[in-house]
Amino acid sequence: MSDATRPEPLVFAPKPADPPPPSSIGAVGWMRANLFSSVPNALLTFLGAWILYVTVAAVLDWALVKAVWEAENRRQCLDMVGRAGACWPGVAAWIPNLIYGLYPKDQAWRIDLGAVLLVAWALPLWLPRVRSKVAIGLCLVLLFPLLASYLFMGGAKGVVWTAAIALGLAAFLWCWLTALAEMRRGISFGALMARLLGARDDARAARIGQASLLALYLVALALVLPLELVEVPTRLWGGLFLTLVISGIGITFSLPAGVLLALGRRSEMPLIRVFCVTFIELFRSVPLITILFMFNTMLPLFLPAGVEVNRLLRAIVAVCLFASAYMAEIVRGGLQAIPKGQYEAAAAMGLGFWQSTGFIILPQALRIMIPSIVGNFIGLFKDTTLVSIIGLFDLLSMSRAVGEDTRWLGLFIEPFFFITMIYFVFCFLMSQYSINLERRLGAGQRR
Amino acid sequence: MNPAGRSGPAIELVGVSKWYGTFQALKGIDLAVAEGERVVVCGPSGSGKSTMIRCINQLERHQKGDIRIHGQALCGEPKRDAPILRETGMVFQSFNLFPHMTVLENCTFALTWVRQMPQVEAERIAMAHLERVRIPEQAAKYPLQLSGGQQQRVAIARALCMAPRIMLFDEPTSALDPEMIKEVLETMVELASTGMTMVVVTHEMGFARTVADRVVFMDQGEIVEQAAPADFFSAPRYDRTRMFLSQIL
Ligand SMILES: Nc1ncnc2c1ncn2[C@@H]1O[C@H](COP(=O)(O)OP(=O)(O)O)[C@@H](O)[C@H]1O
Ligand SMILES: [Mg+2]
Repeated sequence: MSDATRPEPLVFAPKPADPPPPSSIGAVGWMRANLFSSVPNALLTFLGAWILYVTVAAVLDWALVKAVWEAENRRQCLDMVGRAGACWPGVAAWIPNLIYGLYPKDQAWRIDLGAVLLVAWALPLWLPRVRSKVAIGLCLVLLFPLLASYLFMGGAKGVVWTAAIALGLAAFLWCWLTALAEMRRGISFGALMARLLGARDDARAARIGQASLLALYLVALALVLPLELVEVPTRLWGGLFLTLVISGIGITFSLPAGVLLALGRRSEMPLIRVFCVTFIELFRSVPLITILFMFNTMLPLFLPAGVEVNRLLRAIVAVCLFASAYMAEIVRGGLQAIPKGQYEAAAAMGLGFWQSTGFIILPQALRIMIPSIVGNFIGLFKDTTLVSIIGLFDLLSMSRAVGEDTRWLGLFIEPFFFITMIYFVFCFLMSQYSINLERRLGAGQRR
Repeated sequence: MNPAGRSGPAIELVGVSKWYGTFQALKGIDLAVAEGERVVVCGPSGSGKSTMIRCINQLERHQKGDIRIHGQALCGEPKRDAPILRETGMVFQSFNLFPHMTVLENCTFALTWVRQMPQVEAERIAMAHLERVRIPEQAAKYPLQLSGGQQQRVAIARALCMAPRIMLFDEPTSALDPEMIKEVLETMVELASTGMTMVVVTHEMGFARTVADRVVFMDQGEIVEQAAPADFFSAPRYDRTRMFLSQIL
């Protein structure tokens, strides 16, 4: 056939996209689709709105509108509004106790300083252009406890103790110096020192880097040596401070321990596997409160006479072990969700077990586990209220003590309401942060 | 001949058998692939093609027989086999890129961590291979932002970064839409032209015809027959082969 007889091909012109119909977008469209799509739905919407209104109004009425803000004692509150309004002066008078427990009030600055230090130490993790975030994070988790424990406990410090505290302080200084150097110059603290001192070759630069770390440690040591803090025994620790100490240690310990246990449970070495399975199943099948009791009353029986393990430490160990067992099962779930192909691709490229686990499998697994991990953290944070049972004065027990104070006798609901808010704020922040983290880490990784 | 036996076959399987529990997936496979040779392996699903190719780089361990890579026998001990297996690279049906790393990081990761290469050097090598598979402009993206064909080409580049002398492909185009099969096959043809030793499990008979030096047909864990593509397609000797060919051609 010749070209002349063949008809011209038709040209395909795609239609332009139309905007969606107006009734399906905007606030009105959303309300129509979700709240008033049918008569029963509309009725439920009104019912829900009414219930919400009644409860919120009642709570606000009690907590704000009818509340008493100034009074000497509970009697005055009751005379003014009876039980219709909250009596906040009692809570206000007890706030220092709720936060610091029985910690001597003239020493409370040490706790504040510890908190500030923690925030300041963690801050570089969120600063842009800081590259050594992993190192800073590790320093924080491993070395902050050294510094903080002396700050909180105080007392005589031996040689080892002094060295450890100085190490913590040096690490803190290093983190900030490195963060600053990386933000300003884009190189680490050691490299910056080498450049400032005019190192000519790599070997000398490395030596200057090491020397500057040593110098940093000596500076820290010089700062720590004259430092002397009064001893505050742990039985005086309490309130929000104690709750944060126990749950903070529990959280930071349980994640790595849980990862190791989960890996052990999947290990091909029978001894390791049996140990991990036994540990996990044992601690998961016993309530936390039982474990706390066991550690509190039975541990001393097993230890040789004269070895005194303090009550707080016992509680912390119990919480850590319990939380690790739970975390292990969460991590195991995450590990199972990673397709076998990822392990195979890693193996085919010559990566060893720890390399493929640490860089290929765990980062992916942890990302999908963020909601359950944070859920577990939140659970742990709230579970620390159980330590009140073995005689530690956590936030919950301190709030109960308000109503036993002769001035505020019987004032229970207000302190409970107050600490409920504290728990809520902490848990809500954790949960929001996890959602935020998930979104950020998920960027670019979804289809 | 040098001590490593370089003049011998690149891959040699002698009486290799493999069981999954009591099920025998490979029944005494004998196969020799010469240096620079391109072998296409085909056969019905479940015939043991993947198992065989995965035994070659020890993703599966064989229980009987010997596997030699450039004359060096694999002993089944991961640590001791590792240096021998560095000679092999593998491309999977489902790409298996690391979704949490960018394309470039996927390629440089093993170079920096297994070969201990400086980052700059690793990136230079990675970019060279990404250029070779013609997607250097995607280096900063994450794998799941790419099309299937692009992902598979990244996977090929990633394997090539480790400078293997043998490339194993397990159905590299089976998970792809027809439009993308072509771009991956072109990359493989280009690779074949460089003299790389290749073992390719595939049902792309066009690729087998034009690129392969030899076609191997497997069924039920055995090699039924093997021949040069011209002979294999025009005059298969076994009825089983004929039936298979009539089904896929
Ligand atoms: N991990 C495994 N466990 C048990 N059986 C398997 C496993 N992998 C493969 N098989 C079996 O071995 C046989 C060969 O599988 P495979 O090598 O994947 O075949 P092909 O790649 O040729 O389709 C099949 O019958 C399959 O069911
Ligand atoms: Mg297969």
